Amino acid sequence: MPLALLAAVLPGPPVCAQAAPVVPRTVTIDERLAAAAALAVGDRVLLAPEAGGPGDTVTIAAITRRGADPSEVARSEYRVRLHLDHLQRLAGTGDRVGRFAVASAPGVAPESVAAAIDAAAFGFRAYPAAAVAIETSATFRVVNRFHRAIGIITIVASAIFLLCITLLKVDERRRDVGALRLLGLSRATVVRAVVLEAALVSLVGSAMGAGLGWAASALVNWHYQGVYATPLRFAIVTPGIVAFAVTLSLGLGLVSGWVAAQRLVRRAPLELVGR
Amino acid sequence: MTLVLSARDVRRDYPVAGTPVHAVRGISLDVHAGEWVAIVGPSGCGKSTLLNLLGAIDRPSAGSITIAGRDVARLGDAEATRFRLTGVGFVFQRFYLMPTLTAAENVELPMAEAKVPRVEREARARELLGYVGLAGRADHRPFQLSGGEQQRVAIARALANRPALLLADEPTGELDARTGTEVIALLDRLNRDGTTIVTVTHDEELAQAARRVVHVRDGAIVDDVVRRPLPPAAPADGAARR
Repeated sequence: MPLALLAAVLPGPPVCAQAAPVVPRTVTIDERLAAAAALAVGDRVLLAPEAGGPGDTVTIAAITRRGADPSEVARSEYRVRLHLDHLQRLAGTGDRVGRFAVASAPGVAPESVAAAIDAAAFGFRAYPAAAVAIETSATFRVVNRFHRAIGIITIVASAIFLLCITLLKVDERRRDVGALRLLGLSRATVVRAVVLEAALVSLVGSAMGAGLGWAASALVNWHYQGVYATPLRFAIVTPGIVAFAVTLSLGLGLVSGWVAAQRLVRRAPLELVGR
Repeated sequence: MTLVLSARDVRRDYPVAGTPVHAVRGISLDVHAGEWVAIVGPSGCGKSTLLNLLGAIDRPSAGSITIAGRDVARLGDAEATRFRLTGVGFVFQRFYLMPTLTAAENVELPMAEAKVPRVEREARARELLGYVGLAGRADHRPFQLSGGEQQRVAIARALANRPALLLADEPTGELDARTGTEVIALLDRLNRDGTTIVTVTHDEELAQAARRVVHVRDGAIVDDVVRRPLPPAAPADGAARR
């Protein structure tokens, strides 16, 4: 069904001196439309099915906030809500609707409600809201998989990079390690010290990374929530993500520290100090 | 007099491009408790190799080395490491202080590895730093210390676990003449207080300060001169006094 269109904002009360006063019907509009047309609650507007065509003068009763629905965020359309009879009359479609929602009682499984409706009536199908969401979010599942693939590639590349950096940084300290070995510090002590330091660096690094990620996601959300006038959160850093990042970082730090330390302690102390 | 170090027919050969190089050729050397021996000779004569062998840093190709009654030539890697920690103290030309640790922490490091209780090692580190004249610099890091001060910290560190023998490889090699003299004076004081010292050096002033000078050439001892005999009341236990 085509959406009813907003044609014009009326400057004052309708001029209908001879007729009985007509109480305008009320509608609600969404924030995006209110912002774009500079409308407020109480304003009266002309609502028509076609731009420039005949319509009804309506009063804006409320301004609604859109839900965080990713399937709608990029659509540059406005939303106006009317009473059903008003909408049918304006659209000229009579007693006909494309779809409607049924709220089930708390505790009742939506699947059983849908099955009961399907069994009781012919000519339409009922779907649980979750099924509709899954059906309409197929694109987002693809995007999600794409993001996951990028994430895995990034993690693998970062792990290799981290290992190389750790090897280089530890190798830079081979003289210190050689001196420690000359002084009688055991291989185990050296390995323990290097691994411990790598683990601490990993923990601090992952904490800094999580903080940076949180700040970046806040910035992204602030920007795009403004652009699309939606409460949708475009980037999120959940406790699960932080825990995964810290665990992964710590694991990589321990492994790279251990590998780097083993490379050092296998060499003779004199070789390490360059003699 | 107690024998602290006894090396017998020690040899060290290196294979270089398939050809053996004889760095040390059958050296025998005895060092008694309280001695200060300076090993001198031209570059490449094998004196540093000999010091490494005496300190269980390297292993001889043949011969035996006994320090404080222990044959160090036959030690495995872990045992040799442990021996370097507690049996001998090392002073190197380049100090090798840990840059992130304070002077006191550097001195404590070998004691921490040897599982000396914290309170005891902190007290010992302060005592040793006081002995080498750095009581007021205990909390300074190496980059805040002069070369001479760093070497004095290194000497304090070498004495931390009360080794039987102090080995020093060119201890004045990185220092200017004045600070070199200060370090020599410190080594002299240590020796007079009972520390047994073996140094390898090119520094004539350091060699002159030692009680005994051993000349090495082409991997062999060519001369062994006692300049100042040990006093009658020399230490009998072989352990470094500090």
